[in-house]
Amino acid sequence: MKIIVLNCGSSSIKYQLFDMTKKETMAKGVVDKIGLHGSYVKHERNDGDAITLEGEIVDHQAGIEYVLGILTSKRRGSLNSYDEINAVGHRVVHGGEKFHDSVLITAEVIEKVTECIDLAPLHNPPNLKGILAIQELLPKVPQVAVFDTAFHQTMPKYAYMYAIPYSLYVKYGLRRYGFHGTSHRYVSQRAYEIIKKEPCEVKMVTCHLGNGASIAAINCGHTIDTSMGLTPVEGLIMGTRSGDLDLGILMYIMQKEEIDLHAANTLVNKHSGMLGITGISSDMREIEDAAQNKDERANLGLEMYYYRIRKYIGAYSAAMNGLDVIVFTGGIGENSPKTRAQICNNFGYLGLEFDEEKNNNLHGTEAILTKNSSKIKVIVIPTNEELKIAEDTERIIKGN
Amino acid sequence: MTESLEDYSLSKRILKSRKGGLKKVGVIGCGNMGQEIVRIISQHGIDVVFIDLSEERIQTILEEINTALDQVINKWGLTISEKRAILSRIKGTTDYKDISDCDLVIESINIKQRFTSLEARKEVFKNIEAVVSPTTVIASNNSTLMISDLASVLKHPERVVGVNFITPSATVKVVEVIRGLKTNDATHDYAIRFIKMLDKTPITLHESPGNISTRLIVTLINEACELLMEGVASVQYIDMTMKDGYGLQFGPFELADRVGLDKVLKWMNNLYLEYGTANFKPSPIIKRLVRANYLGKKTGKGFYKYDEGKIISQAITATEFI
Repeated sequence: MKIIVLNCGSSSIKYQLFDMTKKETMAKGVVDKIGLHGSYVKHERNDGDAITLEGEIVDHQAGIEYVLGILTSKRRGSLNSYDEINAVGHRVVHGGEKFHDSVLITAEVIEKVTECIDLAPLHNPPNLKGILAIQELLPKVPQVAVFDTAFHQTMPKYAYMYAIPYSLYVKYGLRRYGFHGTSHRYVSQRAYEIIKKEPCEVKMVTCHLGNGASIAAINCGHTIDTSMGLTPVEGLIMGTRSGDLDLGILMYIMQKEEIDLHAANTLVNKHSGMLGITGISSDMREIEDAAQNKDERANLGLEMYYYRIRKYIGAYSAAMNGLDVIVFTGGIGENSPKTRAQICNNFGYLGLEFDEEKNNNLHGTEAILTKNSSKIKVIVIPTNEELKIAEDTERIIKGN
Repeated sequence: MTESLEDYSLSKRILKSRKGGLKKVGVIGCGNMGQEIVRIISQHGIDVVFIDLSEERIQTILEEINTALDQVINKWGLTISEKRAILSRIKGTTDYKDISDCDLVIESINIKQRFTSLEARKEVFKNIEAVVSPTTVIASNNSTLMISDLASVLKHPERVVGVNFITPSATVKVVEVIRGLKTNDATHDYAIRFIKMLDKTPITLHESPGNISTRLIVTLINEACELLMEGVASVQYIDMTMKDGYGLQFGPFELADRVGLDKVLKWMNNLYLEYGTANFKPSPIIKRLVRANYLGKKTGKGFYKYDEGKIISQAITATEFI
């Protein structure tokens, strides 16, 4: 079975073609600057053949037409014809409370995804554009929507509700939804395979630490709590997002700085986080370098970053009444030994025995970083959301 | 053999099949409002080229845009990388040829004269039509002149539309889209789409001097001046009543100061010429202030006195400058 996975953003499309018999990527690439000056397609085949093609790409449909054209071309392609494409899987950011799992895309599903635009005004519209473009270009090919929010839909109500008037939940659906669901699901399921245990034997915390970052408590294979909320700004300190913040501060800033909602939104989403604290960068590597050179604010930023994650892991172990596995994934989780060590060294009281040496030498590959006698296992698992989307797509197509 | 992206199109029709792309906009005249328009367009990912009178002026305008963006950054509304991206999309020129490949051209000239700028704007319209393609949409950002008058000098008047940005246009959500007698549906729909691309709400209306916004606000400002001249209440109290009493963002005097009293006076003169009714006849107070170069916030004095853009006190009473 051959499946195309699409991740459509406001002016970009990331794509991957999978051969599901071998679970291999045949080709992947990105269409960028759609509708803007200087648009291009960057394409790479699994044999190393790669090219960047510039030209006018007026909209998402044109972008997808070019992708299909390249994938089926003699020179750069991986397919003989479109007939080989069995299905298309889409990343859809927000499924609200309507979707608890990935679904086959129908007119009704499109309508429901459209209804969720209110909750993700920047993300759901381009996701829909991708779906509609495939519908027009490959009308016979089934499509599947895989939601960032779906995996977290198992949270109990006491964990996802905010303590604001209940009527606002009823009226607008204001509650915790959480994001990065496909990543948390992929790494948690991979962790069960690595440690060879059934989901119900394991209480797990998964840390997705990239430029955006979230953490999830997973018990019996289900999310029971996660750090991102209605929007991705809540929870951990991120590259440019504040994470948890006293709402009073935002109101105080708005009043004192005389700024409107738009600026307040930009402040907590783009000026804050590690960039805001350190004044150096949102990139963890640059901050770690500055800290090495004794930059005070870089050190402060890192201490705050580690502390927030430790606090969440502690809280989630209490929420689950125990902790067996901590998983690290995402750019920072996979590649920063210092971050992993600074977090894990605080859990000795729970019986975590960290293997410093193994940790120091590990970058971007799968491994267990704790000693055999450790009560809690720490595992690094590079995330693969695209593969998970392809697997979901295959499962749902076969089920129909 | 070199490869091009078009080689991989499913058919060679991709570019032709979906017309109405908007990648480059021309703006003629880059005074305060022209600069605001340039910034908004670029901020929304569209390339923009502005025309002004001299190379020196262009440098000044680019510096002013730079400063304005820094002010937004200081107020947390923008990041440094976003500013860099915005500036990279803005080009200034004195040559009309540089707008020949624009999908849309907006005239936004600012003539420093007391009465109508109709003839000057007509000249600009002719210059635009001489270089752009026959389908390029030509828009005018003005609030008191008739679109049909401007369109009358063109070979293709059907592609003319009015777009009236209301100051401060960065934050005001509505833009008036004005349909002239000959504006066709395609032009009108294109303008609506353009305004929506800027995350603003288009208010569509048929041409009428002053549109909705200027016609109503001018009357309010004039009536506020009447109250002041009659000694009924102070500048502050009149503003406070309208602001707090009716939930307006600004009272009539503060608003007039923000727009610029020279501009308010020009609006009034144009509308008085058009309608001939007393409610548009410029108040003597406004004439007096403009003559004294009390033009509002931009000169530091108008109905109020300003320090670093903030009101510090009332600048006039019914009878005297303070």
